[in-house]
Amino acid sequence: MPTQNGNNMSVIRTEGLTKVYNPDQVPVHALNGVDLTIEKGEFTAIVGPSGSGKTTLLNIIGGLDEPTGGKAFIRGTDISTLSDRELINFRLNHIGFVFQSFNLIPVLTALENVSFIMQMQGRPAKECREKSIELLEEVGLKDKINKRPSELSGGQQQRVAVARALASKPDFVLADEPTANLDSVSTAELLDMMAELNEVEDMTFIFSTHDQRVIDRARRVITLVDGKIDSDEERTVDSG
Amino acid sequence: MLKYILKLGWKNVWRNPTRSGVVIITVLLGTWAGIFATGFFNGMLNDYIKGQINLTVGHVQIMYPEFEDLYNPNYAIPNAENLIRTLQVNPDVDEVSGKSVATGLAQSARNSFGVTIWGMDIENDTSVSVRSIKGYLEEGDFPEAENRNQILIGDDLAERLGLELRSRMVLSFQDVSGDLTAGAFRVAGIFDSFDSRFDENFVVVNKADLNRILGGKNLTHNIRIDTDDLMTAGVLAEQLQDSNPDLEVKSWREIAPDLRYVFDMQDLSLYLVMIIIIIGLIFSIINTMLMAVMERTRELGMLRAIGMNKSRTFSMVMLETVFLTLVGSPVGLLLGWLTITYFGASGIDLSAFSEGLEGWGFTTMIYPSLALKYYLNIVLFVAVAALISALYPAWRALQLRPVEAIRKFN
Repeated sequence: MPTQNGNNMSVIRTEGLTKVYNPDQVPVHALNGVDLTIEKGEFTAIVGPSGSGKTTLLNIIGGLDEPTGGKAFIRGTDISTLSDRELINFRLNHIGFVFQSFNLIPVLTALENVSFIMQMQGRPAKECREKSIELLEEVGLKDKINKRPSELSGGQQQRVAVARALASKPDFVLADEPTANLDSVSTAELLDMMAELNEVEDMTFIFSTHDQRVIDRARRVITLVDGKIDSDEERTVDSG
Repeated sequence: MLKYILKLGWKNVWRNPTRSGVVIITVLLGTWAGIFATGFFNGMLNDYIKGQINLTVGHVQIMYPEFEDLYNPNYAIPNAENLIRTLQVNPDVDEVSGKSVATGLAQSARNSFGVTIWGMDIENDTSVSVRSIKGYLEEGDFPEAENRNQILIGDDLAERLGLELRSRMVLSFQDVSGDLTAGAFRVAGIFDSFDSRFDENFVVVNKADLNRILGGKNLTHNIRIDTDDLMTAGVLAEQLQDSNPDLEVKSWREIAPDLRYVFDMQDLSLYLVMIIIIIGLIFSIINTMLMAVMERTRELGMLRAIGMNKSRTFSMVMLETVFLTLVGSPVGLLLGWLTITYFGASGIDLSAFSEGLEGWGFTTMIYPSLALKYYLNIVLFVAVAALISALYPAWRALQLRPVEAIRKFN
């Protein structure tokens, strides 16, 4: 059992997480007591049929929604107790997001998109620029730094989004169906890149996905059914 | 960070160039229309006040206290010649003109009409009082001193009485002994001023002719004074009243309350014109900015989700509006200034509407003009309008819940 102090602290820990929609009318129990621990460096996929509660779970551990009951700890902080303002800052500094679409600001270049989040953190302009270039190089977009999203392919846009997610030095990256709009080659490239970041930099990735290609690459697969964890499977995956 | 928010706001403006272009043109036209309409209205009111004051009222008038009650010719100003000479050397007085006045009936073979008769020293009087009427002469000439009983009438009276140049007409009025008297006059000239009421109700004859028929010598019932500055008229009137306690001295504000009202309300009227235009502008900007926010719901949700706080989101939307305004407003300002400068020199001819305008005493040639303070105020109004317009869309942007805006995970 991970402690709540020191470096051994879990990245994410939930205790009896419940979420009920429409509690006064027709209650819908989206989560029914989810206990979950995710450690640093995990490459985890959360899967399950529609309505299983994975959306709700990701919203809550991403600090975008509040649980009805239970607690969600990020690095030991109970995020359900944070105010709106604290939560925004918490997301900015602790969580990296990669969404399915609408990830990037269309009027900014790849470099500016990555830089933007660091600017919001109040880091010096020079550092933002250098770090952004470094991250874009890391995701294989060295020659695309001055391109706008509309000039990039879907796969390239998702890679910029990953670079942006990493730019804020988060505790983990939440990726919502990151491959949903990508072809096989782009999906493979994106997964390779994220797997490499996971291995080399020990970055924690949590995916919500239906994509078997993503599930096949995950080292841990958590399956939700009816708001409960149905299975939690650790696997050894060939990173190649 | 501010630099980045500024940059993002500016780039967002050009995200949809057509829509932004429409707002910029709206702001441009709004600013231009605000300036031009205000300048036009200002020019119209200024011309109205100036025209009325030049033609009939002057800045200050001196009369015998009871004269205005019944226009009794006996109530002439005592020692008027001396008073006029004194006034001519008064440094606060620009021009002085003395006239005899009678009210009576103008008759022709066809009709008759009540008029006010001004007896003026047409040949020697070079004051604005005479000059302004001379400016409106349409036919013929001013009555000459060597030709007895010549008269100058307005075109509206000429039409009413069926008179033409050199037609004969009779003026009958009360003389100094209280008897009804009359004189036959020949029309020497016909004027057509901007004010049809004046053209119908006032006639001008030589002072000597009027005084002779009135039965008095050197009668002066009214001394009109013009100064350099309309605003100083009140002070001058008070000074003259103190030095001439037996006479009645009135400034234009007392003589013509309608003009005073127009003058006092001028500022308010101009600001009303501005406000009406600005209200239109506000709704146009709100509409566009709201569209700009609503169509970016997911993007704004994403920004909020990754950690853009409320104040930055608010600032970004506000800055977009400010940029839209900053592009349109200076161009509108410049165009407005150019339009006012051009038409201020050449005038806008509204003679097609002369009948209506003259009925209200307005000139048909409008020279728009606008003081610097109005330009500054219009810019200020537009800036405030832009900020007010941005408030609601910016507020709407803040109401977006990131989780709903990005359509949730999955």
